[in-house]
Amino acid sequence: MNTASEAAEARPAYWRLLSGLRRFVQRLPLHVIIIVIALLWLTPTVGLLVSSFRPSSEVATTGWWTAFQTPFKFTLDNYSSVISQNGMGRSFLNSLIISVPGTIIPVIVAAFAGFAFAWMKFPGRNLLFIFVVALIVVPIQATLIPVLRFFTDTHLVGTFPGIWLAHTAYGLPFAIFLLTTFFATLPKELLESAYLDGASNFRVFYRLILPLSVPAIASLAIFQFLWVWNDLLVALVYLQVPSKAPMTLTINNLVSSFGTQWQLLTAAAFISMILPLIVFFALQRYFVEGITAGALKG
Amino acid sequence: MAEVRFEHVTKRFGETVAVSDLSLTVPDKEFLVLVGPSGCGKTTALRLISGLEEPTSGNIYIGEKLVNNVPPKDRDIAMVFQSYALYPHMSVHDNMAFGLSLRKTPRREIERRVKEAARILGIEELLKRKPRQLSGGQRQRVALGRAIVREPVVFLLDEPLSNLDAKLRVQTRAELSKLHQRLGTTFIYVTHDQVEAMTMATLIAVMNKGVLQQVGKPQDLYEKPGNVFVAGFIGSPAMNFFDVIVKNGDNGIYLDAGTFQMPVPKEKTGTLDKYLDKKIIFGIRPEDIHSKEYMAPGIIASPIRAKVDVTELMGNEFFLHMLSDDKAFLARVDARTPARRGQEIELVFNMANMQAFDEETEKTLLS
Repeated sequence: MNTASEAAEARPAYWRLLSGLRRFVQRLPLHVIIIVIALLWLTPTVGLLVSSFRPSSEVATTGWWTAFQTPFKFTLDNYSSVISQNGMGRSFLNSLIISVPGTIIPVIVAAFAGFAFAWMKFPGRNLLFIFVVALIVVPIQATLIPVLRFFTDTHLVGTFPGIWLAHTAYGLPFAIFLLTTFFATLPKELLESAYLDGASNFRVFYRLILPLSVPAIASLAIFQFLWVWNDLLVALVYLQVPSKAPMTLTINNLVSSFGTQWQLLTAAAFISMILPLIVFFALQRYFVEGITAGALKG
Repeated sequence: MAEVRFEHVTKRFGETVAVSDLSLTVPDKEFLVLVGPSGCGKTTALRLISGLEEPTSGNIYIGEKLVNNVPPKDRDIAMVFQSYALYPHMSVHDNMAFGLSLRKTPRREIERRVKEAARILGIEELLKRKPRQLSGGQRQRVALGRAIVREPVVFLLDEPLSNLDAKLRVQTRAELSKLHQRLGTTFIYVTHDQVEAMTMATLIAVMNKGVLQQVGKPQDLYEKPGNVFVAGFIGSPAMNFFDVIVKNGDNGIYLDAGTFQMPVPKEKTGTLDKYLDKKIIFGIRPEDIHSKEYMAPGIIASPIRAKVDVTELMGNEFFLHMLSDDKAFLARVDARTPARRGQEIELVFNMANMQAFDEETEKTLLS
């Protein structure tokens, strides 16, 4: 009797379910692939983390995945051992002392330079910019000896300011390139409007350019921080003082002296990973945030 | 309050001449509209006043002060950009207050001016929002507000209505005129839209290819265009032009267009007698062409027969695309005119409003 109207009524709900199901099925392969990749990527890190909490006897005899069977045998000894006896605590501090200025200085210099290259008019601007950007292709190894000799002459070898300078110099070409190209995409009228409002170059820079470039600056800061934090070569060549060694150097030494003591190495490795992870999670939202939305007509 | 004066100002960008030998005075408190097609140099002229561009040669004065070497921020002008250029990370309030705080205006004064401007523009309830939370019309108001709070001696507006929809544009046009009266400040407004120029301006300057064509009151430009370009640019739909030959007949001077002849009224003779048997350009606006049945009383009518090519009924009037021989022209006639496609009908030109231009210089032959 009423089958026609009943079907018509039932149709929307049924269709909604069907289209939802279809979307789920369509996206399923993608989701599966993403989850598999994420798991593959995560497994070594999880293994590292688990191993770092296991006693040496366990690490030497069984795989990390067996740690979840009762009885649980977890310990903090590895961490206390690497931090106190093997100098990882001091090295962690050294890494911070090297990395924080080694990130902040090049980012600040690059921001000023980027503003000048993108928006200020001066003779030779383009030539200078090309020259700076061309430095990106100079391999770091080619600079080691001349820079080391320069550092020796100026007594910068083995000092923190020396290594800050080195990281700043190595980071700047890319940093300047990145920020210049980003600043250049900001709408010209915004800057002109600020100049008409009475802003000086410096004010335009820090009231307008900087706030609008937070995503680019944050990305650059993460790149530069990771590069400096994970650097071994520059520290190895220019630092040369054991008391100032960053974690990369200390772990390297641990490997040669405790090659078989996996539990200590995993704990040390995890300590060196923890800060980059925190930095990344703290700043990752800037990667996706487009802050210039609404500057111009919608 | 100040007048703005260009003295032989030229601006080149490399080989391109954007503004060529511009001499123009904008008296205090006028609403000058700089109008012309894209790339005619009108925006460059505006940017020269603002100081965002420097003249290649010539002098620019604001008030009595030569401003060639005065930086933009010290020129006491405010500019509204086509894109509005609102600071995206600042609230509406801070957008308006930014310029004042840079000038170290006391806090209380800033608040007073921002509130006052917001009240004038009806955006009081938006002060806490960010630009991205506003509609196009609201952003446009904020951009105006940012200029108003500065209390500048000259307002510069660069096509501020071009991003609004048609209805809002008409509304804002009237509001801008009101704002100009209320503030009593010199306004210099750039647009490519001659309707905006006609409706808002107290003074229009028409530019083409970097060269100033004519300056005058809207009605003067409409009635007495100085050359073919101005005649064709001001007024919508555009003026019709015919190549005609000046002849002397029994009843005085007449114009011969080949398929029809038109007697020239005495008061319109001007310098036409010097062009006897020579070719000139004759101009007549669509609204000065009437159907014979419904012509206005008191016009100096010159009849013409022509074929109807296309008809456009606008409700209150009829746009007739006509053909006389191969020559096409547009007539704006009474809606009751019986006209069908392909039909030959009789129209009249109102010769009282005719225009005549030299064929080579394209300058007007009527004084």
